[in-house]
Amino acid sequence: MQKINKNVVLALLSLTSLVFLLFQLYYYKFYLSQKNGAVFPKLRGRQSGQDSTRWHVVRKFLGLISSHNIPVYLIDPLILGLVDKDIERIRGSSDGPSPECKYFCAPRDFTTFALLDKTWKHEVGLFRTAEKMGFQWLKIINKDPRLDGMDDLSGVEIPLHYIFKLASHAIHLVVFYERSGNYLWHGPLRLKQHMDRKFVSFRKLHFGRYPGAYEKPELLLVSIDDLKVQIPKNPSSFLEEMSHSRFLECRYREARAFFQLYPDDASLDAVEFRKKAKSLLHLAALTLNNLGVKFWLSSGTCLGWYRQCNVIPHSKDVDLGVFIRDYKADIIPAFQKAGLPLKHKFGKVEDSLELSFQGEGDVKLDIFFFYEEDDHIWNGGTQAKSGKKFKYLFPKFTLCWTEFVEVRVHVPCETLQYIEANYGPDWKVPVKTWDWKSSPSNVQYNGVWPVDEWDDVIQIY
Amino acid sequence: MDEWKPNPAIKPHKKRSWYLAWKYKLMNQRALRKLCQTGAVLFLLVTVIVNIKLILDTRRAAYEEEEESAQDYDDEMLNVEVPRHPVSNKKVLDVEVYSSRSKVYVAVDGTTVLEDEAREQGRGIHVIVLNQATGHVMAKRVFDTYSPHEDEAMVLFLNMVARGRILIFTIKDEGSFHLKDTAKNVLKSLGSQVAPFLSWRDMWTFVGKKGGEVYGEKHAKSPALSTWGDPVLLKTEVHLTSVEDAECHWPDTELNRRRKRFCSKVEGYGSVCSCKDPTPIEFNPDPLKDNKVFDVPVAVIAGNRPNYLYRMLRSLLSAQGVNPQMITVFIDGYYEEPMDVVELFGLSGIQHTPISIKNARVSQHYKASLTATFNLFPDAKFAVVLEEDLDISVDFFSFLSQSIHLLEEDESLYCISAWNDQGYEHTAEDPSLLYRVETMPGLGWVLRKSLYKDELEPKWPTPEKLWDWDMWMRMPEQRKGRECIIPDISRSYHFGIVGLNMNGYFHEAYFKKHKFNTVPNVQLKNVESLRKDAYETEIHRLLGEAEVLDHSKNPCEDSFVPDTEGRVYVMFIRMEQEADFTTWTQLAKCLHIWDLDVRGNHKGLWRLFRKKNHFLVVGVPASPYSSKKPSLVTPIYMEPPAKEEGAVAVPAVAAAEQT
Repeated sequence: MQKINKNVVLALLSLTSLVFLLFQLYYYKFYLSQKNGAVFPKLRGRQSGQDSTRWHVVRKFLGLISSHNIPVYLIDPLILGLVDKDIERIRGSSDGPSPECKYFCAPRDFTTFALLDKTWKHEVGLFRTAEKMGFQWLKIINKDPRLDGMDDLSGVEIPLHYIFKLASHAIHLVVFYERSGNYLWHGPLRLKQHMDRKFVSFRKLHFGRYPGAYEKPELLLVSIDDLKVQIPKNPSSFLEEMSHSRFLECRYREARAFFQLYPDDASLDAVEFRKKAKSLLHLAALTLNNLGVKFWLSSGTCLGWYRQCNVIPHSKDVDLGVFIRDYKADIIPAFQKAGLPLKHKFGKVEDSLELSFQGEGDVKLDIFFFYEEDDHIWNGGTQAKSGKKFKYLFPKFTLCWTEFVEVRVHVPCETLQYIEANYGPDWKVPVKTWDWKSSPSNVQYNGVWPVDEWDDVIQIY
Repeated sequence: MDEWKPNPAIKPHKKRSWYLAWKYKLMNQRALRKLCQTGAVLFLLVTVIVNIKLILDTRRAAYEEEEESAQDYDDEMLNVEVPRHPVSNKKVLDVEVYSSRSKVYVAVDGTTVLEDEAREQGRGIHVIVLNQATGHVMAKRVFDTYSPHEDEAMVLFLNMVARGRILIFTIKDEGSFHLKDTAKNVLKSLGSQVAPFLSWRDMWTFVGKKGGEVYGEKHAKSPALSTWGDPVLLKTEVHLTSVEDAECHWPDTELNRRRKRFCSKVEGYGSVCSCKDPTPIEFNPDPLKDNKVFDVPVAVIAGNRPNYLYRMLRSLLSAQGVNPQMITVFIDGYYEEPMDVVELFGLSGIQHTPISIKNARVSQHYKASLTATFNLFPDAKFAVVLEEDLDISVDFFSFLSQSIHLLEEDESLYCISAWNDQGYEHTAEDPSLLYRVETMPGLGWVLRKSLYKDELEPKWPTPEKLWDWDMWMRMPEQRKGRECIIPDISRSYHFGIVGLNMNGYFHEAYFKKHKFNTVPNVQLKNVESLRKDAYETEIHRLLGEAEVLDHSKNPCEDSFVPDTEGRVYVMFIRMEQEADFTTWTQLAKCLHIWDLDVRGNHKGLWRLFRKKNHFLVVGVPASPYSSKKPSLVTPIYMEPPAKEEGAVAVPAVAAAEQT
């Protein structure tokens, strides 16, 4: 009897724990599905009800917006992704009712729209109407970056994000601002202390973790799920743009401190050089962007941006970096067409490629090509007279947008590591004499080009 | 769990028999049974461990999520909430007022709200206005009633203060010399017993409520002409009223909310805060048809002259075709009151941390403002630049809208300005007439973005160069021979008297009699002929039809120009080379127009009106128009008066003052 009891108890215990285990697994999966939205859609239950809620909220929001003549456009990555698959059909479709709710009913917590700041007046009436319609709303304001600069200006904080919540769905309205450099900027979403952290789950928003920079999109008015809405004309390129839209502001405060220590060179020569370097950079950006070649500020130009938000007047050239995978043979003819003749070409596509173009009045444009390895990235240098090769090593980096001398350009997001690799820990101290073969702290001797290749890898014009 | 539980209940028999069979089998195989038991125990252990791990994972994930969101979405700058002063329910304010020869101060509830012991400054009557409900300082003024006309300004100010406000007066040094009876009577009507008898170098303090009780007054008579009265210190208590009593009951609209905020903070703006029938703060002027400057940003450059700014913005917002969304007011310094004015009108204001001193500070402020303007409106090709001490003509934007395309198309243009330096009451006549001039007048002008970005901004004078921005812009290195378009009758009016470069005399002499257009919708008549080459044709045509005046007469005399109307006359003056303005300066002086430096010329030609006739002055032989001079006419030469010591410096200094 005792033994039986023991067995029974054991078996019961095992069963209980098994059940408990199953329950835990179920709970965990449920938690995961909440986190990732669509991963376990079947666990969400009451699907149709929830779906139509989303559609209704979007419809109400669009009604609210159009009643105040505020032009918004859809930038929701999830919906745009779905739309992109059927883009041809959607573009061509007439106004006939659509059979099913395919896009706006897709499971998600938010629908994201964009608003161009200059196209609306900041009316209070909108919010009053929104409240009457049952929306709860939240406005996120912050400093106006367009006032950031070498001058210490402070203005009224500007709205960066709005969130309109109705029932279980929320609309995230991202405010885009035009900035000099012909691009659109949206701000980061940062909650101030008194704000309701639980208003929505901010973490799930697609915009706002970082500020972002975008091209001005061409818009298209379409009818999706019987709702008329503006979308970017080319959703896939918008989504691609979105994936690396992160924007870095120049560090004006540090730059001001730098100029306190090392007063700016205001000589006529410096003014002239800056002017030339600026127009050269504008021309280079235009040329490379037209070719679709992604580039970033490198070496001295990058240091100038990071340290003083300006061109370093005693540098002699403008330096750009390009990944070798983005290399195009058209680059040289395109620059020549833009009025920048090739000055020299070192290396070859397979190894240490570097191009130099002659800008106006002695200012040179250097394009260094970067080669990616498993754990680092490098570019090469060649000494013309000796055929010696050098290698400059950088830690891996990703690219961010920034604004420099009124043009939108890329810089390494991990700028500090990039600069420290190149210039060492004392990059904050201006150095006037600089030897590209020995001064950089990341330079390595990389052998000599074989003499029979010299004609190819050392071309000077 | 729910699904599983019912199972044993539904089929108990089957389970039972299956269990029994299994039990008997096990009874027979002891070893196997032992194994099963151990297995079960092990399984139990494993599930317990897995369970614990799951719980931990879930908790950690949840925690990370919170952590993450907190890190990413919290404002970096921890908003250190400034502990607000607890709203004191105190109904009584302690007020201390001190008056003496070299120092005045006012303390309210122990907080010093005025302290002035600077030497040779702040002479006269200091006035402070307190809100009768909160005790906040709403206005602070000093009227140097030792000097003429300041008492009138004080009367004007006191009349504007709303009834019920608390007024505090104190004299520093001397405040009675030009304190006329009108002013004394106003002070008397406020309840002062001493004011009518205030005399030379008396010390005096007074606290009272406008239109109500007197809280205290102290006075010390000066015993002799050469000495001052003894310092006086008045300590008194002021009873606060309730907030409702201190506020007006305007209908609750967006506009009135702005008004309320403004009126509870500051004083001295007159009827805008009047409870009955307040003056409007929104003007809705007629829109312009085909407005070419609707999207042009307007930068208003301001300092700490909020009353001026108020007057300026009123006229700006009343101008036809104004677009308030494009207006930005740039305030040089962290002054509250100008910002209050900006907010009253619902405009956007930006404050600028001052850099450098004096004129260089103004110059740096200009640069920062212009840079920010083009940053805020990256699409803009132009910016309108205004200053806080200008009245803006009702057709200001109409004038710009009709002429701005020239600035876009004609490379030889430097700016369009609303101001004619030589456009006085007696020398300007035709609101539809425009000129090209080689000097940059400023005072309401349009700047081309490319000019600013490509040329001016990179080499703008640095703070250590104590330069005037406008003098710098007029230098040949910057102007490069380009010209500005100006109207005959100015579209702006410079009313500023107090300023860095201003004083009453100077204003009276050079600005007060300036003509200002008040006619709406003026159709400009010769816009296309202002292009570079067309203008020359136009000038030659004008000179061709002009009647040559009698050069034997004195050009300063009124009779020099015949008593006609609508004719064109020309006179020739001596001008040896391009920079020889000897005769012109003398002529300008006797015509009572701008003579401090040379303004308004175009290739040695000046155009103005005399007795309603167009009056041209050509400098011979430097001007290319000299060829139009009949050979018999001798150009007039006027000698400068014998130079006095130091007289040379005057024009140079004064010229800098036009800003």
